[in-house]
Amino acid sequence: MTLWTLALRSLRFHARAHLGVLLGATVGAAVLIGALLVGDSVRGSLRDMALARLGKVEAAMATGDRLFRTELATNLNAAPVLALPGTVNSADSSRRANRVHVLGVDESFWKLATKAPPFATVPPDSVVLNQALADQLAAKPGDEVLLRVSKVSALSQDVALTTRDGQSVAVRLRVYAVVGKEQLGRFSLQANQIAPFNAFVPLGLLQAKADAVGKANLSATLNTLLFPSREVDISFSAEWATENFMAIADAGLRHSWQLADAQLELRPLTNSAALELRTDRIFLDPPAVRAALAVDTNAQPILTYLATLLRAGTNATAYPMVTAAGAPLVPADLRDDEVVINQWLADQLQLKPGGELEMSYFLPDSGAALTEATNRFRVHSIVPMQMPWADRTLMPDFPGIAKAERIGDWDAGFPMKHSKLVDDPYWKQWRGTPKAFVSLSAGRKMWGNRFGDTTAIRFPMPQSEIGNRKSEIEKALLTALKPTDFGLVFQPVREQALKASREGQDFGGLFIGFSFFLIIAACVLVSLLFQFGIEQRATEVGTLLALGFTPKQVRRLFLLEGAGLSLLGSLLGAAGGVWYARAMLHALSTVWRDAVGTSDLNFHAEPATLAGGIVGSVLVAVFTLWLALRKQARRPARELLAGGGEEVISNQCSVISVQSAKGSGGGVMAVLPHPGPLPLGEGMATGTLGEPNGSGSDPALAKVLPLPAGEGRGEGEKPRGRQGQRNTMAWTGVGCLLAALALIGWAWAKNDSAAAGIFFGAGALLLGAAMAFTSAFLSKLERSEAAANLTLTSLGIRNATRRRRRSLATVAMLACGSFLIVSIGAFRLDEHADATKRASGTGGFALLGESTLPVVQDLNSPAGREFFNLDAKAMTNVSVVPFRVRDGDDASCLNLNRAQKPRLLGVQWRPMDQRTAFRFAGVWKPLKNNSGDWMLLSLSDVGDGFLQTMQEAGLRRASGGSEIFESGPSSKSFGPPPGTAVVIPGVADEASILWALGKKLGDTVDFTDERGKPFKVRLVAALAGSVLQGNLIIAEDEFTARYPGEAGYRFFLVDAPPERAAEVSATLTKALRDFGLELTPTTRRLAQFNAVQNTYLGTFQVLGGLGLLLGSAGLGVVVLRNVLERRGELALLLAVGFRAKALRWLVLSEHAGLLLLGLGAGVVAAAVAVLPALRSGGDALPLASLGLTLAGVLVSGLVFTLLATTWSLRGKLLDALRSQ
Amino acid sequence: MSAPAPLLRLANVTKRYPGAADGDLPVLRGLSLEVARGETVAIVGPSGCGKSTLLNLIGTLDLPDSGELILDGQRLDTHDELALAATRNRQIGFIFQSHHLLPQCTVLENVLVPTLASGDTASRAQAMDRAKQLLTRVGLAERMNYRPGQLSGGERQRCAVVRALINQPKLLLADEPTGALDRATADSLAALLLDLNREQGTALIVVTHAPELAKRMGRVLELRDGQLVAAHGN
Repeated sequence: MTLWTLALRSLRFHARAHLGVLLGATVGAAVLIGALLVGDSVRGSLRDMALARLGKVEAAMATGDRLFRTELATNLNAAPVLALPGTVNSADSSRRANRVHVLGVDESFWKLATKAPPFATVPPDSVVLNQALADQLAAKPGDEVLLRVSKVSALSQDVALTTRDGQSVAVRLRVYAVVGKEQLGRFSLQANQIAPFNAFVPLGLLQAKADAVGKANLSATLNTLLFPSREVDISFSAEWATENFMAIADAGLRHSWQLADAQLELRPLTNSAALELRTDRIFLDPPAVRAALAVDTNAQPILTYLATLLRAGTNATAYPMVTAAGAPLVPADLRDDEVVINQWLADQLQLKPGGELEMSYFLPDSGAALTEATNRFRVHSIVPMQMPWADRTLMPDFPGIAKAERIGDWDAGFPMKHSKLVDDPYWKQWRGTPKAFVSLSAGRKMWGNRFGDTTAIRFPMPQSEIGNRKSEIEKALLTALKPTDFGLVFQPVREQALKASREGQDFGGLFIGFSFFLIIAACVLVSLLFQFGIEQRATEVGTLLALGFTPKQVRRLFLLEGAGLSLLGSLLGAAGGVWYARAMLHALSTVWRDAVGTSDLNFHAEPATLAGGIVGSVLVAVFTLWLALRKQARRPARELLAGGGEEVISNQCSVISVQSAKGSGGGVMAVLPHPGPLPLGEGMATGTLGEPNGSGSDPALAKVLPLPAGEGRGEGEKPRGRQGQRNTMAWTGVGCLLAALALIGWAWAKNDSAAAGIFFGAGALLLGAAMAFTSAFLSKLERSEAAANLTLTSLGIRNATRRRRRSLATVAMLACGSFLIVSIGAFRLDEHADATKRASGTGGFALLGESTLPVVQDLNSPAGREFFNLDAKAMTNVSVVPFRVRDGDDASCLNLNRAQKPRLLGVQWRPMDQRTAFRFAGVWKPLKNNSGDWMLLSLSDVGDGFLQTMQEAGLRRASGGSEIFESGPSSKSFGPPPGTAVVIPGVADEASILWALGKKLGDTVDFTDERGKPFKVRLVAALAGSVLQGNLIIAEDEFTARYPGEAGYRFFLVDAPPERAAEVSATLTKALRDFGLELTPTTRRLAQFNAVQNTYLGTFQVLGGLGLLLGSAGLGVVVLRNVLERRGELALLLAVGFRAKALRWLVLSEHAGLLLLGLGAGVVAAAVAVLPALRSGGDALPLASLGLTLAGVLVSGLVFTLLATTWSLRGKLLDALRSQ
Repeated sequence: MSAPAPLLRLANVTKRYPGAADGDLPVLRGLSLEVARGETVAIVGPSGCGKSTLLNLIGTLDLPDSGELILDGQRLDTHDELALAATRNRQIGFIFQSHHLLPQCTVLENVLVPTLASGDTASRAQAMDRAKQLLTRVGLAERMNYRPGQLSGGERQRCAVVRALINQPKLLLADEPTGALDRATADSLAALLLDLNREQGTALIVVTHAPELAKRMGRVLELRDGQLVAAHGN
């Protein structure tokens, strides 16, 4: 015999009595474990999706607009892919898909699939669609689709001289197959649970159509990267290779890459003794220039650019090339304002040394805007039309220009507005031979741009050495350069994907939060029922105490018993948890789909989670029981042995336990002689008990019903102690109330209403206050002796004080539930509220657009609108704020994965600042200012030392320390130039910062620029609930400096009169159809984001409602227990003439009072708690729905009470009196 | 040669209950009592005279307002709750009018329940043998694995007696032990109590209304006006 045995015996013997506790523990455990399993399932599903989108791919190298040789990939045993953005139309154009990933693949790609597709490769003129795209197009194998894909441009679309026409090419293809997720149908390097649109076409076909023959920009591989070079002798174990895969990949790249993979070419010049390094990207990347100059100190950098006009007085010539270089092309001492011209130009413009030449040109970075600048030069000298000046190879291969037979045939990105001044004879004879030469520094000042400031580097050498030196220089260049300088770097995409899924939204925690009140309700129920059970076993407790057990031992014994129940409940709850999780997943895939954006959630359960959940549930239940047991076994054994199981026998009126009656002799029996049955019927609620005899309060009855203060009270209980307890509770309530008000006041003052902690903190404190006041009130009621005005209703209400803790627990349960429902309902978001205001989630913009292909034209300028044939009338009062886009992970709440590299947007801050677009939820403390937060993007450096630097630059900080700018920086007037600072400022939506990135203001996010250089974006400001959620926004100049290859704009915010938004949308969509522009009303986009929060709130409400339902059921249990315990006294009342209806009213009024008190406390607490949120822009309380919900709860509570009352008073009540 | 020290000594014990309208209600007024080792004492008196209160004080289930309570040379009225629990467990055995057996345990287990309070595992092993021996002694050998619900009233009370004796107490307190039994069973139980008193050397104090039971005790005391006096006929 041990304590365990005894506990087990008790557990078995009292099994029926424990059923309720077991049920409560099971419900609590099921909810807790279920919530954790929801977390497992979402995490597991995300992992499945991550693995599905990558197949067997371990690592990948994506280089964007930079192309490398397909051999580089194949030599490394990697699959070469040419990935380009595109759009796809169904054959009859009835259906369309934008933002399609067009992937040129060969047979090696399909080998990376988890399950090989039923074809080795995509046949020519065919396309394989993924399921999402096929669904979008309603396409099936055999159907034709029209695919439009962006061509690869050697020169960025942002360069003024690049060709603008024919950016995309259309090709009609037949759908060969539709591939599922196991066949790499969801292939993507971005972590998102939403399937992309993928179109797989033959690699050769796409290369040909996109002018990228033999090139690729993405390489995906298994973890079996090969070293192609037999000369490389690296031997390692398979294990080592796995662990060091990325290092091996990098080493492999270094050994395999060639200059062509950096789009560089080292070629011998045909017309002079030199080697020349050039690039088909026109401008050499700065690392290449640095490496070339390091390899050979005699190397000569050259920058050749197109002048739009050379003018001397009234003479002019259009579109000549001008070269900037050092000696020997120009004198070593040539000044920056001097120019050397060739004889042809001198003759043409009648120029002599000392003459003045005006040179006009497009600013290279101005893109389609074609901003022209003019400089004046003094003619230093005139050079003959012979080498080295008469060198047509000085002109880079400008696309659309280099191969034209005449200037009029140029397919350049600018209009020939000086067509009359073109010099076709010169072009015919000398082609791109420069007519003028300036110093290298002058050229770089004029034409240096984000892509580079050098078009070629020449290595002069004797003709005889060229053959040998070529390979030598090439090798030296490859050694000096790093593949990462050109974005050639393998990323551990599988590891990243798994990390993104692992660190994704923690639905386990989320659902524990959602289910919190349900768990609490279950715990309270468990506590109530367990306490009931123990109170029923008072004599057992007394016996154990009498036998020498200490109270602690007795409690421990009961706790052991409770632990057994908890364990059993948790085990049953684990099974229930599986059901709960499945139900939640089903809801998330259907009615709550807005929160997750996918129906692809599958059930997953990790053994560790189950075990942890069971342990957690047991601990929660045991803790609950411990709380319930704390005050047990404290009553003297003699009392317990005498059968005194009641918690407190107070001095309240009338309903004296029969046991007390027995003990106190004639007390109750004195009532019995009362004449006749008391006619307490219809007017029962208001009539006093004394009324029946028609003389007001019956002194005899009143004398019997109210016991004198102290009589019947538990022995040893001191009135003063009860008074003190009441005071303590009242003061606790006051303390909680003051703390809550202080918290709300603080949130009010700080305008920090969004903080969930404040909301819940204040709410919890208010609830605590309400409970403390309720306790004090019940205590006061218990002591009151207003017998003279006694009515049946007041009698019922005062009965609630008999088991004060039980009544309090009931009220607490109801209060928590109603608090939850009211407060959460108030936080639902309405996208239409203030939608036209700037300081709203829409920023006041009517439309939001995303294009598949970059738009380089200015949609606000007449030229840009003319380019797209935009109807001027339709575009009246329409303006566009364009954003540059660097694709990355969607950092919005629509993405369940943790965004590793969020999508970057580059924007000019002024248009946003001028509009005071969007509302800022917060600004990084050191940068708080009152003059507009978009301006923060203009800071060129927000590294740790930047404040000091700014102060040194003379910028004043206001005395409060909150003003960092005197009047705001008008431009980047100080600090490092764009692209050079290590830490730059960024703005993001607060939801992105908090949830998608898991960061806070002031934190940084790591990025790597296009040339492999790492930099950080510091989150300096947070937007409140905006359509920009999902992105990280930086200044456009920083963007272009770091991602020069990302041409044009692909994200747009459109200002349009609200009433014409649909018309503007149709106009723009039609005009930019080939760019795959998709416009969405900003309110709709906001609604998509809001839907997540609203769905979560809905989930919270549903589960809170379940908690309240449990609370209502708990009230029913309380009624049952109360009535069953009082059957004797109720029978007594029946015996003295009360009608059954009156007894029902007596019971109902007591418990309805508790119900109203609970609901009232919850509603009041919630109403006060949401005040700051309402003040800061939360939408108005949905009073109607809240009222309906609460009314529903009230009705359900009353129904439970009524049912329980009726059930417990059924049968022959008077038998209870006889049995006593 | 001095007389051996009494097992139990109450000196000038008073006890009042609060709650009366005109002040506290005195129940015991300077009561004194000495009980020798192995002695049997019956306490009689009318209902409400304080017999049970006196028994609760002796059994340390309650404490006197004043006076001394000494058991086996130790003052109990100054002990804390833990020490009192240990005393109850080791030195005192209780028999109630209502047997208060745990319905979930078998007869044997019920008997062993008091041994669980001590935490002394070594003595528990011996307790098992003693329990079986005592149960056999009281005629419950065949009922050891029965539940209380399967026993007759007399059997239950005998089981309660064995439970009271399991820890070899020096003092056995019985509160109306035959109150719920028929005459024959009551006689049998009385005989058993006295037999065990002799065999175990345990002092026995019985509170009873039953004159037959009281007469069988070595001494009969009547509680009157809060004092113990020798009962008539003794």
